[in-house]
Amino acid sequence: MIEIENITKKYTKGAIVTEVLKGISFRVEHGEFVAIMGPSGSGKTTLMNILGGLDKPTGGAYRLDGVDMVRAGEDELSRIRNRKIGFVFQQFYLLDRADAMKNVMLPLIYADGNGGGAGRAEKVLAAVGLAARKHHSPAELSGGEQQRVAIARALVTDPVILLADEPTGNLDIRNGLEVLAIFQRLHREGRTLAMITHDRAVAEHARRLIVLKDGRVADDQPVHQPRDAETELRLMDQAASGAEPG
Amino acid sequence: MNRSMRLLQQAGDSLMSNRLRSFLMMLGLIIGIASLTAVICIGQGTRARIMEMVAKQGWDLIMIRAGSAKQVFAPTTDRTIASLMEADAQAIEAGLGNIRYVSPVQNQRGWEVIYGDQSVKTRIFGVGPTWHHIRRRPVERGEFLNQSDVVNMTRVAVLGFRTAKMLFGPADPIGQTIRIGSEAFQVKGVFVEAGIAPGGDDWDDRIVIPITTSSRRLFGRLYLEQIVVQVRDARKLPQTAEQIRKLLRGRHQIRAGAEDDFFVREPEDVKEAALVTSSTLTALLIAISGISMLVGGVVIMNLMLISVSQRVHEIGLRLTVGARRRDILRQFLFEALFVALVGGLLGAAGGVGVASLLAGAGVAVSKITWIPFVISIAACSLVAVVFGLYPARKASRLDPVMALREKRM
Repeated sequence: MIEIENITKKYTKGAIVTEVLKGISFRVEHGEFVAIMGPSGSGKTTLMNILGGLDKPTGGAYRLDGVDMVRAGEDELSRIRNRKIGFVFQQFYLLDRADAMKNVMLPLIYADGNGGGAGRAEKVLAAVGLAARKHHSPAELSGGEQQRVAIARALVTDPVILLADEPTGNLDIRNGLEVLAIFQRLHREGRTLAMITHDRAVAEHARRLIVLKDGRVADDQPVHQPRDAETELRLMDQAASGAEPG
Repeated sequence: MNRSMRLLQQAGDSLMSNRLRSFLMMLGLIIGIASLTAVICIGQGTRARIMEMVAKQGWDLIMIRAGSAKQVFAPTTDRTIASLMEADAQAIEAGLGNIRYVSPVQNQRGWEVIYGDQSVKTRIFGVGPTWHHIRRRPVERGEFLNQSDVVNMTRVAVLGFRTAKMLFGPADPIGQTIRIGSEAFQVKGVFVEAGIAPGGDDWDDRIVIPITTSSRRLFGRLYLEQIVVQVRDARKLPQTAEQIRKLLRGRHQIRAGAEDDFFVREPEDVKEAALVTSSTLTALLIAISGISMLVGGVVIMNLMLISVSQRVHEIGLRLTVGARRRDILRQFLFEALFVALVGGLLGAAGGVGVASLLAGAGVAVSKITWIPFVISIAACSLVAVVFGLYPARKASRLDPVMALREKRM
């Protein structure tokens, strides 16, 4: 699925050359749920941009689903981002003036091929539990709901991989867990997910944890006892109701 | 629905979601196109009116009357001033450029004309074979006089519409013989009904015969009442009139300083038409509309630049989820085109309204044509592309990573 080999990234500003990624290699297989963790400045955002086809490495090789992403031209990268990658961001990035449906359908504007868009959008909105709110604008939705719309938007083109950059960063614990529960369900359904986070508690919901440090892979291990978001949510509910009298 | 249609829809959605901005983008173009349209409508209306007058009276017509200017306007009915001769007409035709037709004209009122037991009193004109072209008097039935009629002093006549009616009733006059004075004439043609001319001349009550026949058989005199001339190029008519004046002064041996013994009359309408077309007001209004189009374009560019910077996240997001750079470029150009075309059409409609209002108030003449609409579509598309391209390019060249990282405003 994802094969990266000895990826480097250098930024040159005048005479100063900053090496953000210093040779990173790993493979992500079909159906994996990987968390990429590291402190700020470790290069995880740069790596994410490269994985998402938004940026190109200075050196090394990257293949996504069989496509050479280093050699691909701009139009081909656009098509790959549209068809093969679903993006989820920390800030959701929904269009304020469009309702949930229109937001979910945004990638379909740039997908070649006709029809079926509205049906597909309704299906993914239902999958994130927002079937009843499809005509609400972002301002009428809570943060958690907005992020679920964004997840639906990422899923609408049926991508081979979901890339999430700090998806819970702007949410409270409960809403964060709900997003993670959706990710875990998608993983159970066989989808491939890569999630960037600086938060170990969030990262432990994945099945594999890649730790970046100073532009290198410092650790790459399976998560021995993955957290289960749905269990955590249930425990939260019980704690809340247990606090009530009676 | 293909990609272009979806982009068009995105552009439309975006404009509809910010109506005030869209309206402000249009405003300059609305004003520019409205004033341009009003100018065109009034210009077209004025031109149509001139053409109408011209078609009636002949804008390429020079009339040379016998007698000085004072005598021409004297209240005599049949003037007897022996200053113009057939040879003068021939000299004009042979000696000057820019001349299409020349015809000598004689006329006398009060001739009794008889057919069978019908009799009328009418005016007899002696003319050349091209007179009906010069005065735009088409023949309805039969034929007009020809060159051999003039050469042979034939006794043939072309009747005015009413004269023919009075003499023949419903019967066909062509080929019949009528009596004018003591001479017998064969009817050769009948003119199309003309109605009363603005000057009060009754074109339907007259009989036209060859000039040679009138001068030598009927009137018994060689001098003319007038010579009529049709020029080839009406724009050079004043120069031609002056050449005629010089030619005739020479032929009539009029000393320098002495008064002409003839009077050259040009159609007033031509001067008026020249006045209208060269009007500085028209030029001024066109300049104003040009400037407001320019201002409209700059406004479009400015508001689009603001819009691009307000929508950095949206553009970044679109690029991230698979928009190609040219998709972004097209969406923003579509937005500019949309605004410009709607503004242009509103402006054209407004301009037509203003022109009609002015016409209704009697200030101007207006004619509505498709021309302003075509011009407004073309001009507005041009403005949209010229002024929309820079912001659209700017939007399409954003780096999605940087765009998404940008702080919201």
